[in-house]
Amino acid sequence: MDLADVNSEIKRADLLHMYSYLRLTRALEDRITALYRQGRIVGGCYTSHGMEAIAVGYASALERDDVIAPFHRDMGAFLIRGITPGEILAQYLGKRTGPTKGKDGNVHMGDLKRGIIGFVSHLADNLPVATGAALAFKMRGESRIVFTGTGDGGTSRGDFHEAMNFAAVRKLPVVIFCNNNQYAYSTPIRYQMAISDVVDRAKAYGMPGEIVDGNDVAAVYLASKRAIKKARAGEGPTFLEFKTMRMHGHSEHDPAKYVPRELLEEWKTRDPILIAERLLVQLGYGDETYFHEVGERAKKEVEAGLEFAEKSPLPEGPEALEGVFATEGPDGCANADQSRSAA
Amino acid sequence: MTMTTTQTTGEVTYLEAISQALDEEMMRDERVFLMGEDIGQYGGAFRITEGFLDKYGEWRILDTPLAESGFVGAAIGAAMMGLRPVVEMQFADFISCAFDQITEVAAKNHYRWGAAVPMVIRAPFGGGVHGGPFHSECPEGWFFHSPGLKLVAPSTPYDAKGLLKAAIRDPNPVIYFEHKFLYRRIKATLPTDDFIVPIGKADVKRPGSDISVITYGAMVHLALEAAQLLTKEGIDLEVLDLRTLVPLDKEAIFATVHKTSKAIVLHEDNKTGGIGAEISALLAEECFDSLDGPIMRIAAPDTPVPFSTPLEEFFLPKTADIVTAARTLAAY
Amino acid sequence: MATDIIMPQLGESIAEGTVVKWLVPLGGTIEKDQSLLEVETEKVDLEVPSPATGVLNEILVKAGETVAVGTLLARIDSTSVSTPSEVIHRVGGVVVRPVEPGAPGEEHHSPAVRQLAKEHEVDLTHVKGTGAGGRVTKKDVLEFVSQSTPAGKVSVANGEPSMGEEVLPLTPMRKTIADRMLKSRQTSAHVSTFFEADFSSIAAFRKGRDLTYLPFVVRAVTRAMRDVPMVNSTWGDQGIVIKKDLHIGIATALEDGLLVPVVRHADRKTLTQLAKEIADLAERARSKKLSPDEVQGGTFTITNHGGFGSLFSAPIIHQPQIAILGVGAVQKRPVVINDAIAIRPMGYLSLSFDHRVIDGATADQFMAKVKHYLEQSHWEQIL
Repeated sequence: MDLADVNSEIKRADLLHMYSYLRLTRALEDRITALYRQGRIVGGCYTSHGMEAIAVGYASALERDDVIAPFHRDMGAFLIRGITPGEILAQYLGKRTGPTKGKDGNVHMGDLKRGIIGFVSHLADNLPVATGAALAFKMRGESRIVFTGTGDGGTSRGDFHEAMNFAAVRKLPVVIFCNNNQYAYSTPIRYQMAISDVVDRAKAYGMPGEIVDGNDVAAVYLASKRAIKKARAGEGPTFLEFKTMRMHGHSEHDPAKYVPRELLEEWKTRDPILIAERLLVQLGYGDETYFHEVGERAKKEVEAGLEFAEKSPLPEGPEALEGVFATEGPDGCANADQSRSAA
Repeated sequence: MTMTTTQTTGEVTYLEAISQALDEEMMRDERVFLMGEDIGQYGGAFRITEGFLDKYGEWRILDTPLAESGFVGAAIGAAMMGLRPVVEMQFADFISCAFDQITEVAAKNHYRWGAAVPMVIRAPFGGGVHGGPFHSECPEGWFFHSPGLKLVAPSTPYDAKGLLKAAIRDPNPVIYFEHKFLYRRIKATLPTDDFIVPIGKADVKRPGSDISVITYGAMVHLALEAAQLLTKEGIDLEVLDLRTLVPLDKEAIFATVHKTSKAIVLHEDNKTGGIGAEISALLAEECFDSLDGPIMRIAAPDTPVPFSTPLEEFFLPKTADIVTAARTLAAY
Repeated sequence: MATDIIMPQLGESIAEGTVVKWLVPLGGTIEKDQSLLEVETEKVDLEVPSPATGVLNEILVKAGETVAVGTLLARIDSTSVSTPSEVIHRVGGVVVRPVEPGAPGEEHHSPAVRQLAKEHEVDLTHVKGTGAGGRVTKKDVLEFVSQSTPAGKVSVANGEPSMGEEVLPLTPMRKTIADRMLKSRQTSAHVSTFFEADFSSIAAFRKGRDLTYLPFVVRAVTRAMRDVPMVNSTWGDQGIVIKKDLHIGIATALEDGLLVPVVRHADRKTLTQLAKEIADLAERARSKKLSPDEVQGGTFTITNHGGFGSLFSAPIIHQPQIAILGVGAVQKRPVVINDAIAIRPMGYLSLSFDHRVIDGATADQFMAKVKHYLEQSHWEQIL
């Protein structure tokens, strides 16, 4: 990432904002991992450890009434969109104060008011849904866009291809990314696809594609911004391949012995927080003291969230019967009635 | 010629009634739009949307790629953003391609995070048209079992129009099973006003005193035919048209069996695990003290829908089956 | 679904055939492979089997007509019939097991029947079953309820009971008897004829044997009915229906009413068998253990009204029969035999008959025969 580019294209405040969210995401997911190992979180536990720059980078590039259709490695995006650590921990602890009130667990959160489409466990199901949301924006002449993605494994599913195709055919205002962390559970990329770069698929569907260093939050941010601008201008979708490495197992119960140690060692040096700190130092935006402060603030925020979550009540059994059917339509995303012209 | 205005008089076919409902809803609510294969330029495989493209344009009559999972998923996204998509499956048989999006995403959405999905999937189902295994299926059983979906199946032009409107206005995902055999074979004169058939309400198509026939779709007409034949033998059938499969109108089901004490449950779908099994269980559970005879079921045997005419004829339930069953039950 | 019947080609050079005869009438039902019509050509006559099961609802070529091979002769409509084996694949429960008539009191009742009986306080042993195997159906219970006033409720015909009056509530049995007696009078043209029979030979034979007069009377009646079969008949709109089977009802007095259990095929039974059966029926009638079958199907009735000294009577015919025989008290009376006075046990026989069906002559013929058999039978041969 060229320093000059960063200097001119990213505001200092925005970069510091992103750095603080990198720290917050890391702190939150470390806490979640600890709780899991303590047996206080049950069910699945999937984190974005070592991949935080992707979600933080792209979510920071969006406007408030854009919509995201994320997947389970996008914790940072949830935080930036306004889901608080308290709500997230409540969700993990199955409390009534989480975004799903105990109906679903872990990262399966959604909230139309904050522009987040909740996803399902079936990877790539979120992509066609995202294209539909983009279709709605285009039909109504709104300048909102949708940002969505899945992992390398997710791109093997039919829904990925159907969504890519539909987005390109109808030139929808959507940005589709692939978090290529090189492993889908235990399946290495070479058994997932016969190509080396997922971005090759973009051309097949007739849309532009870019390879991005997924561990460099500035690079992610700038690439996202470019793609978003195109989409908002009515030029259709872009595919972004964020290259990264899955530093923990598929989930926290997975020791991931199938990943070569050398690979992990190599990528440790490219930790997104380290890269961001290096960048901030180079630009003169921060130093060790500052980084420490940000770290402490993040920890405090997480602990406050945990306190909130722990004090929150669990739902009662009969609540399981509630909410199967809606009694009124969705209220749309935040500021849905504010049409904006292309940026 | 299926393109109609909202002030229509005279008889319309079941198919035209569907067309009218779509047209009227699109006029009434600009959020309503259609998605499906060949619905725009071609006017739909069954010509239901003939003329719609010119009237509403290529975005509200959206010709999709051949990708059911993709465009049903897209409909879900569009619905969550406040539009009211009506998706057409060219044949109900292709709904299996979108099974994942329907049952995992659409059905569970509101339950999990409170986001309603106001969409309709139209599925032309049923046999008797020499369609073979992939153009004649009755797949309602799969979705009957998926909490979060509503299923409807009209049998008359009136119900077809009223139920489609109700489905479009419902904030939940509704699968609308239209019977392709009935498309051009039944006609009726419809009211000119904006009428709704409420979802969740069955309809007694023929009152009677001796035996209740509980059914839906094209089978309603076979039941009525059987009822006519049986009057000569002094057997008086009551025919209850379910109209909605989920949620079932339990009140109506129990009321009719409470009245006659004898029940025949009839559907075109395969017998084992079909909706008839659930209704039979409900009757045994809730109407036991009213039963004066065993509950009988009439349904297709447990095979895919065969193609060759004698095979398909053997497969499909017939009026004669209803007559035989009714005679047996009446004599019990 | 309609099936076309065409003139077959019965031989390579044959160009035409003649319809000889339709074996099924127009509108008749026919099974697949059943012979449908007879066809004749120069070379051969044969029967044509039906290609379908259904109703022959159109005949286009009549018997005697000759037509070219391939001509449409008729149509079979299969929509109103389906073969049982086909149906079984699509219909669940079509093989409904018929209800076996259980021993009285052990009958299986459906939930609806039990529920209704409970609600209306009905004793189901009193209800006649018209369902499969004699099963009591919901309709039977409802009909029973509508025809009877619930026990315990007072039914007052003329205002409130006053001092000096007692009102007995009408039991279902009383209501039934009243209804039937009145209806019978209104249906048949009742006429009575009276005969006297000498019971000496019977009395002598009875000594030392445990037999009442009734089996002898039943025996004599069945023999007389063979001689005068018109008496074993019933009035029908199409004509008088003469029954082949002799089922004799024996009127039996109960504490609160009357029942008429039936001895089936009375003509085939010996005196001993008759005696045993009559005694058993009477006992079970009094203890209310008869099944609905046992009080139905009689073709003639005998009423033994002499118990309290009645000599003759004019009983009411038990519908749909056409005659009823009353047997009065058997008493020793002076009679003239061979111009001398003798003391003989004599009994009057009173026959009420339906004059719509038989005339006095026939009735008297019958009675003469009854008297003859009572007086002249070799009882030791019929024991």
